Order: sequence, then C-alpha cells, then structure tokens
Amino acid sequence: MTEKPDHLPEYLARLADEEAARFITDGLLSGKDSVPSIALNQATEPLPESPRRRLRAIRDLIDDAMYIHRDERPTQADAWLAPRLHAILRLTRAEAADSALWNYLALGVAPDFVVWRHLSETAKVVNAQYFKGPHYKQAFARLWWSAELFRNGPDYEPVVIACGNQDMLNTGLRLDVVDHRPTAQAMVRLLQRGVIRTGRDANALAKVVNTAAVTVMYDVIAQDVPRDGDAVRMWIDEGEGGLTVHHRPLPTGPAEEPAPESSVELLANNFAELFADAPVRGRRADEEEGG
Amino acid sequence: MEAGEDFGPWLARQLKLADMTQTELALAVDVTRAAVSAWITGRATPRPEAIERIARALNTDLATVHTRTTDTQAGLPVGWYHRPGHADGGRELGNAAAFAFDADVSVLARETCQNSLDERLTANGQPVRVRYTLHELTGEDLARFREVIQWDDLYPHYEAVREQKQKVGRVVDAGLRDMYERDRLVLLRVDDYNAAGLTGDDYDDGRFAAVVRRQLDSHKSGSTAGGSYGLGKATLWATSRLGLVLINSTLSEPHEGRTERRLVGRLDLPWRRVNGEACAGPAWLGRPDPDSPGAGVARSWWADEETVESLHLTRESAEPGTSFLIVGAHDVASLAEETAVPDGDEGEDDDSIQRMHHRLVRALGKNFWAAMTGGGDRLPLLEASVRTLRNGVVVVPEERVDPTVAQPSRTRALKAFLDGTTVERLTETGQVAAVEVPLSLPVQGGGRTSFGEHRAVLLVTHAEDADGKPNRVVTMRGNRMTVRDTAVPGLPLVVNPFQAVLLAGTAAGPQAPFAAEAEEFLRAAEPPEHNKWGQTEELTLTYSTSAYRRINGLTRETNAAIKTLVARPKKGTKQGGGRLAPKLTIGSGKRRRLSAVSMPVLEELDAQVLEGGAWQVIGEIRIPPGGHEWRLVPVAKFDVRSGPRPTIEWAEVAGVNNCQVVDGVLRFSDGARSAAFRGVTDPTTHAVRASLSGLVVELRTGAGELS
Amino acid sequence: MKVFPYPRLRGTVSLRVDSARVKAPAQPREQLDSRARSVIERAVALGAAETEDWETAVLTVSATIPSKATDPTGPWSEVVVVAVLTDRTTNTRVTSTLARETEDGRDWCGELQVLRSDIHDRAVLTVQVIATVDGVPGRIVGEAAEDWIVDVRSDVPTREQSFDIKEVGFTKGPRWLQGFSEAPWIVNASGTVPTVHINTDFEGMADVLGAEGRGPEGLVNAMLVSQMAAEVWTAVFHSAIGDLEIEDDGTPLFPHGWQGEVLREMLPDVVPERTLEDALREVHRRRVGATGWTELQPRIQYAAMRRAEVPRVLSETVRGLDKLNREDEA
Repeated sequence: MTEKPDHLPEYLARLADEEAARFITDGLLSGKDSVPSIALNQATEPLPESPRRRLRAIRDLIDDAMYIHRDERPTQADAWLAPRLHAILRLTRAEAADSALWNYLALGVAPDFVVWRHLSETAKVVNAQYFKGPHYKQAFARLWWSAELFRNGPDYEPVVIACGNQDMLNTGLRLDVVDHRPTAQAMVRLLQRGVIRTGRDANALAKVVNTAAVTVMYDVIAQDVPRDGDAVRMWIDEGEGGLTVHHRPLPTGPAEEPAPESSVELLANNFAELFADAPVRGRRADEEEGG
Repeated sequence: MEAGEDFGPWLARQLKLADMTQTELALAVDVTRAAVSAWITGRATPRPEAIERIARALNTDLATVHTRTTDTQAGLPVGWYHRPGHADGGRELGNAAAFAFDADVSVLARETCQNSLDERLTANGQPVRVRYTLHELTGEDLARFREVIQWDDLYPHYEAVREQKQKVGRVVDAGLRDMYERDRLVLLRVDDYNAAGLTGDDYDDGRFAAVVRRQLDSHKSGSTAGGSYGLGKATLWATSRLGLVLINSTLSEPHEGRTERRLVGRLDLPWRRVNGEACAGPAWLGRPDPDSPGAGVARSWWADEETVESLHLTRESAEPGTSFLIVGAHDVASLAEETAVPDGDEGEDDDSIQRMHHRLVRALGKNFWAAMTGGGDRLPLLEASVRTLRNGVVVVPEERVDPTVAQPSRTRALKAFLDGTTVERLTETGQVAAVEVPLSLPVQGGGRTSFGEHRAVLLVTHAEDADGKPNRVVTMRGNRMTVRDTAVPGLPLVVNPFQAVLLAGTAAGPQAPFAAEAEEFLRAAEPPEHNKWGQTEELTLTYSTSAYRRINGLTRETNAAIKTLVARPKKGTKQGGGRLAPKLTIGSGKRRRLSAVSMPVLEELDAQVLEGGAWQVIGEIRIPPGGHEWRLVPVAKFDVRSGPRPTIEWAEVAGVNNCQVVDGVLRFSDGARSAAFRGVTDPTTHAVRASLSGLVVELRTGAGELS
Repeated sequence: MKVFPYPRLRGTVSLRVDSARVKAPAQPREQLDSRARSVIERAVALGAAETEDWETAVLTVSATIPSKATDPTGPWSEVVVVAVLTDRTTNTRVTSTLARETEDGRDWCGELQVLRSDIHDRAVLTVQVIATVDGVPGRIVGEAAEDWIVDVRSDVPTREQSFDIKEVGFTKGPRWLQGFSEAPWIVNASGTVPTVHINTDFEGMADVLGAEGRGPEGLVNAMLVSQMAAEVWTAVFHSAIGDLEIEDDGTPLFPHGWQGEVLREMLPDVVPERTLEDALREVHRRRVGATGWTELQPRIQYAAMRRAEVPRVLSETVRGLDKLNREDEA
C-alpha cells in the first residue's frame, strides 16, 4: 500500500526528470510500495525557501481532498482540489513550466494521492505519466494548469465547472485554443448551460473549436484584455507574505480583469451553433456519462 | 523691352558678320566714318533716323537694332562647317573616345550629372538641378526638326559613313534605318540649372572650348574644377547614333555682353569624302566666323527664341546652365539587361523610351543618392528628374529622382547625420549610429610628423533589400561621390545586414577638426578614376612617399568601428565537454535537407465545397520514374490548431487520369508520370461544417495496417 | 496539402522585430542593443539585457504583407495584422494588433508586451493576417512563412539549441549516476533536454576531451567525440520516437521541441526516399508493430553516425595516424 511519505521537509524542492524516473517503480505504479522518502530528498535540488513553497500547507490540502471525497469516485476530487491547489501553490507560469516541481509533488509529497486518484480500476496500475508527465497529464500539473487556464481572473468558479467534466479537463487542457481566455470561458459556459453534458459532448466541442480555429482567429473576433503582470505579481507576493488559504470556501485568484463578457458570449454562441451540427458519437444515446 | 547688349560692341560684331567696314557703313547710313567709330566705341549713340538707316544697311528690322538681343541675319547664315581633311591625307576614324564604348544611358547619367555637380554655382547654396528629357519625334514633328538642323546638308555625310566597315558605320546605319524605316528619332536632352554654363571664348581656354572645340579625349583637365568636362562629355556623343549633339547654354558670366541662348552644334564622324571633298571628322553647326580663313569655320551664335524653340532647346528660365540635345539617342546597354520592365501600355521595343526613362532614374538614384540628400539646414547638392515625351505629348510625367528609393539605407544614414539625429548605439531598426574615426594627417612637404587628426564620421544603419549587397561601407569626401564601395571583412556570418557610410574631409561637417586639410589630402590621394584613395603621384609630391599609409589606417579604424557596432563580442561558452558541444546542436536549420523522394507526391489540390456541405477535391499527383508501383491511399483530414487532426471519410474516390481506385487505394498506370483522382468527402463525418474547416489531403502508403 | 473554403493571400507575409526594451520595477527601461536581435537567425535574445530582474519586455514588431490584401476590389475587407507570441511550455498566447504604416497597406507595425514570468525560455513569434471574407469576420487569410524566436534567457540571438553537457564526478554525484561510476560518460535523453553526463572521476577523461591538434591526443579526441556524439544521436532518436501523439487513424504527429527537430534531421537517413511524414509513419509502425523494429536499428545507427560525422572523422584519423607513423620513421 502506497503511504504518505515518512519524511517531509519544510519546503518544496525540484526532482529532475532523470532522478524521478528512478523512483517510479512497478511497486509504486501498482500501488503496493511507498517511495523511499529519505533517498528521494537526497536526490532533490532546493528551491528558494518561501512561505508559498511550504509543504505542510500543500500536504494538508491533499489530505483534506482525500478525506472529503473518501466516499466518492476520486475523479470528483479534481473540481475541489484544482482551484485550492492553485491558490496555495502561487506560481508564475514560467515556474509552473518546470516539470521537476511536479515530479517532486507527485513522488516526494503525495504519491499516495496519485495512486488513490489515478489507479486504474481495470488494469490495477497507475500510468507513470501521472507521476512524471506532460502538463495535461501529470497528477498535479493538470490540476494547477486547469485552474490557471479556466479561471476567469480572480473567479475560480469556471474551474470547478470545467473540472467537473473529465473530458473537458483531459481534452481541453491539451489544446492550444484554451490559451485564449475568452475561448476557454466560452467552452465552460456551454457546460454551465447544459449545452455540453457528457464527456463525448465535451470531446466533440473541443474538436469543433480546435478545427474552426484554423480558419477563424478567435483573438480578433473576441478580444481579450492584455495580460496583467502586476495582478499576478501581487497575488504571488501575498503568498510570499505567508497568507493562509482556507480550504472550505472557494478561494480567490489573482485580481486580473476577467475576460470581456461580450467576447465570451460571442464565442459561446458561435461554439453552440457549430456544436449543434457536429457529429457526436452516441449523442442522445448515453447521456448519464459525465465523468 | 528686354535690354540687349550695348550698342557699340553689338554693331562692331554685326559689321564683322556682314563683312562690312566702318567706312562702308558710314557711306550707307550717310554719316562720317568718325561717327560710326564713335558709335562703336560708345562715345555716341545714333539718332532715330540713323538707326532706321543702319537697319536697312544691315538688312534687318528696326526692333533687332533697338533690342540687340540677337545678331542680325546679315552676312553668312547659320550652317554646318565640316573640318576639311588633313593636308597630309591622314585619316582618322572619328572620335576615338566617343565610339570606344557602347551607348549606355546609365553611364551618360553618371557622367553628365557629375559634370553638372562640378559646375554647380555654389555661392547661393542652392542645388544644381538636372533634368533629363526623352523626346521621341515622328511624322511631321520629325520632318520639321530635320529641316531645322539642315538635314539635307548632313545626309550625304551619313551616307558616306554608313558604307564604312567600322563600328561607326554600323551604328550610323542603324540610326538612319530607325529614322527612315520606323519614322522616328529619339532626342535625349540634358539640362542643368544653377550651373556655370558654357562660358568663355569659342576658341580660347574656357568651358565652352573645352566642351565644343577640344578633342573629346582631352581628359587632362581632369581633377581641377572649372571646365572639368573630361572623358565624361564623350558619353554625350557616344549616346547619339548620329554622333550629333546640339547645345544651348545660358552663361553665368556674360560673353560678348550676352548670357542667354548661346547655341552651337557638333557632329562627330570619322574621315569621309563627300562630293569629292575630304572631311577630317568633326563638324560644327554655327555662324561662319568672319575672322577665320575664308570665314569657313562655324562658331557659336546668339540665337533668337524662335530658333531655339524649333531646335527643341528652349530652357525653362534664364537661370544659368547648359542644355545638351543628343540627337538619335540609343541605349545599347539596356538590351543586355533582361530585368523586369515596368508596366507600359504599348509594346516596348529595344530602344523604348520608357525603358531608357527607368534606366536613367535608376542610374541617377544609384550614383547620386548622397548628392541628392539634404537634411538639417543643408539643402541637397543636386536635384534630378526625368521625363519622357512623344511629339511634345507627355508619355511618362516628370519623375523626380528620390534617393530614398534607390538607396534607402544609405540615404537614411546621411540624412540622419545632416539632421543631427544619429545615435551612439543601435537599438531600433531605422536608427543610424554615428561614430568618429580618426585620420591622422601628414604635414605637407614630407616628413613623418603629423599635422593633426581629422575625425571622419562613420554612419551605420540596417540594410534594406533595395540597397543591393549588404555589409558594405561606402566612402566619400566633400563632393559626396562614392569613392569606394567595399565589403567589410572578417564579420561573423550572423551579423544583422547593415550599410555603412564613411564621410571624410568636408563631408564630415563643419565641426569636424581639420576637415579642409583632410579634404585636400584625400583629393590628392584620389586618382583620375575617382575609385579609391591611395598612392598617387600628387600625394607623393605634396606629402611624402609613405603618406598613403595613413589611408590604410583610416580603413582599419573604420572596419574596427563597424565591428564594434554590429558584431557581438565572442564569448567562450561556459559549457563543458570540449569539442563535443558543437556536435550536439539542433534547430539551426542547416542540417535539414530534402531527400530525393521516390514516392509519388500530391502536387496540386483543387477543392470546393459542394451544395450538401461535402468537400470535393481533384488531386494531381506527380510520379517519379518507377514510382507507379507505389500503392497509395488518399486520406482526408481537417486541419486543427494543435494536436491530432480528425479524419474524414470519403463518400467516393475515383481515378480521373492515369489511375484507378481499388478499395480506396490508388493504382497508377504503368509508366505514368502524373495522375489525378477525384474525391468527395462524407459530410456526416465532418467534425465541423466545411465552411469553417481547413481540409488536409495526404497520400499515405499501405492501407489499414494500423489500428 | 491544405485547402480552405475561402480565398487566402498568395505571396509572402514576413515579420521582423525592430526593437526590444525591458523594464524592471522602479528602474528606467532599457533599450536593448540591436545585436540582441538577429534578422538572419530571426531571434531576439532578451537575456542580453543588462537589467537582470526585468519583468516586462516590449517588442516592436513590423510585418510586410502582400499589397493585394488591402486592395478594395479584392475579396478581403477589414484587414488586420496580428502579432502572435506563443510559448507551449507555459500555455501562453499573447496577441497584439499591428497598425497599418503605409498607404499601400504593405507595412504594418506595432508593439507586443511580454511578461518575463509568462515565458519559460523560448517563445515563438509570428504574424497572421485576418480579414472579413464573404461576410465571415476574423478569417485567417495569411501567416508569416518564417517565425521568430524570443528567448528570455539567452544573451545570444540564435535559433540553434544545444543538448546539455554536464561534467560531474559519478561516484559522489547524483544518486542515479552513482551506479555508473565505471562509465566514462552516460547519455540521458529522458529529461526536458537530452544530457551527456561526463564522468570527471574517470581518469584522463577530461584531458582527452580537451585535447586538440594533430598529435595522437587530438586524434583520440576526435574519435572519442564523434563516438560520443553518435551515441547521443542514437539515444535522442529513440527518445524522440518513443512518445508520439497519434491521430485517430493511427498517424503519428511530429512532436514539438527538440524531439521534433531530431526526427526531422535524422529521418531522411533512417527511411530514405520518403516524405518526412511517411518516414515517421514507417518508423512508428515498426516500433509499435509486430515486426521490423530490430531490422530498423542499423538504419538508426547509420543516421546517428552520419549526424555525428563518424565516417569523416575516422578517415581523418586514419590519415592522421599514417602521417604520425611516417614522421616517426623519418
């Protein structure tokens, strides 16, 4: 049984890819073995010590997530955990692009969570990419990035909605089109309105949006406001200052200006129309599929 | 009424022209010889009734005597004078210089414009304005012009010359055929304004004689200013198929009390025999000179406005300068040029005036961008324009030559310098960096001691395509002519393309230390070809045998300064691995190569969206030799922004040409080198409606092996 | 081959970065020297800035598009030109609309702001031409043929990237290397960037690697270096082919980053006479299929050897040895 690490240092660290590979053993992937935490922490590179990198707060959050969703399917934890992880782990995008950070979280901080959340019921193993993998796959990177890309300025509500549909999270996150905020918000809005209900709907929508983006530039017809570096900076500085993020209420993100409502509406309507003629495998046949 | 010249000199010249003595005039006018003498010396003026009689005696009207702006028609009329053959029977093949090179309006532009710059009136600070007019005459206009230049007198000479086997003969023959078979004649007129004009006597030293009288290859006048029409003027005659140039000059200093409408024509042909008379070569159109033996020699005359007009030599104002009219202009060099010809409505033939027009504009821009550039409180030295007419009607409107079109970067550099907007360090595209480069000047009269340090100005800016080759430095002194245009050696390959201009001597501006001395030094170091600075006789005599080394120093400093501005200092990479590192790089694009593909490839895709929302495509396939064996499957997909592309099913696929479709697989005909197929997609498999899709069609090997 | 259901621009769209400046809080902005940009390499090295903790950079971008685009009689109206900066590793996309500079509609110019914290190391900059076509707004009608690289770390504007080389003592180095203490070097292509770890504990290794010249040491160096390079290229090829994204009909996609670059450079030697896409499909088919993978290994070796210039180096070494021998005899 994979247990939570015996040894937790005070701050987050980096675990390089080649080092991480050593700890991803068959025993771990099948959920039988724990990670040798002392050996692992000898293989890390330190990051600057700062309150926003305190391990204890992150570990507590993960414990809470597993506790709250103990009687549910572990996939349900994503919508709860994503915004809260994002709010506790205050990172710039450049910092979040470092895979060594996510390796450390998955192997050094919460391997038990990765096994709990991602152990395949049929194969009885965890795909190694949940420990060390691309941003749309890795257990923590996918949550952080979905919060980063689906939040609407300070508002995490769209993240909760997006993460409520596993296909939106899994398929949407890996597409470049969601890098444009009004596009991401418009897709969430269709979920919210019930236009998109099933995983297959979400996949079909992603395909429509991704395909039409070759002929129409959403950035021009549905403009966004420029990125606000200061808002993100201040928000991260709050974390540096040791701000506590409460677990129960939905936290508040960086005070960036939300995506212009008119842009989101325009795209939502466009997408709804396109989705209406798109072929969806099994549409109407199997509607309870949501996770 | 216009004030003509004083009565005395005018009358004296009329008597000479009419070959009439003072006594003869006194008799005709019924006054004493002393009275005539008093008129001529200016001690007295004739009374009105005497003027009336003078007019009658000189066979002219009253107005001419009153205004005295032109000569009377008394005496021998304007006509052609052919220099007789040499007494020793020697024959010359005509002006060696004029026929030495092929007619090339680019060369003409360079040489004539340079002359105009040299002759610029500098006192008023204004530019010299040069205008090129191409004028094609046909039909009646041509006939009238021939009459005015007394073509009937010239024609036997051309007939005699066209028979000759030399190049001149062929050129003249082509010119005559152009005129008679195609009924056309191209006049190319070169005017300058705010220039000295052809001053001086008809025969003695001076600008007039230098251009009109002296053998055209007398380029000894070379480097000194004033009458510096050296080799350059030969290009005027070389551009004429008929060896004929007519001249109208407005003088900056009066000659014979006059300035305007000094006319003369000159014909350059080889030795010939016409009507039993041997002609040495040159001929002049002018008024017979009564002072010459038998009044046989023609000299310039002061023409009336009507004559000037009929010769197409009217100048736009009384501003001094000269107009050269090249009769039968052609441009052999343009024939070799297969460059894109700008749009023209009519079919352009070999000597098309439009083509000549564009070549003139290009050549002027290329050679005189610096002289045409002004900035700050300094006007350009030169303005140039080109226009093209046919029988007096505009074909290409007057086009002012814009240096920023021909040499955008270098012009920008010079302008920024004159405007005082240069920067020390380049940060933005469009900026011009200026740095000083030292030139240590030697003392005159030998010795190794230095007289002082001149600071030349080096300008560097980013290159543009129109400039020509990048990463070069052009060098100039006060006259702003490019002396050298050289590549900067030893630059790294990845340097941003730039153009550099080195301004030395007075070009470096009034603040530059020892500018005048540097100008003098560099002029001494400039050979007659004006194409470099280095060891010259003058330099050795004025300074010392080693003085030229100082120029090498300037070149070294210049190249070093350029490198400092544009090249990044080399840094040793801190990466380990010794010589391994350079072998482990990707992304430079240098390694990518296209391998020779032996499989058929899709060459062309013709597609449209059908009524029902399906895509229909016709794919054309190129098949390499032996490639017909391949079994390929056409596959349709929709393009996406990122990630996997959704596949689309075909509703039908069929061979159109050289191929059959069997189970969705293309089978090419034996030996076919091209094939075509037609496909229609199944719209129910479209991930998005066709109007919002980008369709991708590919040929893929093998069929369905992959799951 | 691609087709679109509306007219697109023919002719070249090109872009250029005309200036770059950076700004740190409470410091004056710094205009970067033009040597931080390379129009040949099409790269900007913001790392060349002297302001070390800069947070924002502003690039001046100019684009040239065919003048047909703005021809009122043409099919395109409401034409805009947009600069697009993307960094896949940070999921960042920044756009900026350029302004028309010239009457003829060919030249467009504008500024684009880049946040230092949004870019990992390299972003890609391109321009797209957008127009209303047949009443449909926002159509993409053209795109720059060649993009630019905006590198926030490097101080040299170059497109070229190097694999990592680390010199480290294996016995006391990172844990995973301690198991290889007998090896002179180890190639690891599983990380973000392929890395060659050189074992400084291996006696003489550093000397041989640093040796130069035409003497015996130089010859050994050349052989060793090309041998190491061949191993690196074999390893990176396997790594690059190992994790491909697959389309629903089984077509493998070229990966992004160095993996894609490695495949594009080596595939023509691995599967000659095919298009790159078909070569990739063939290699992938053999790797995941039942047969052919083992048979393909010699071709991968061959491609790696060529990429590492083993044949040339070996010939030169042989000639060099001959020469040394002759000198000994003389």
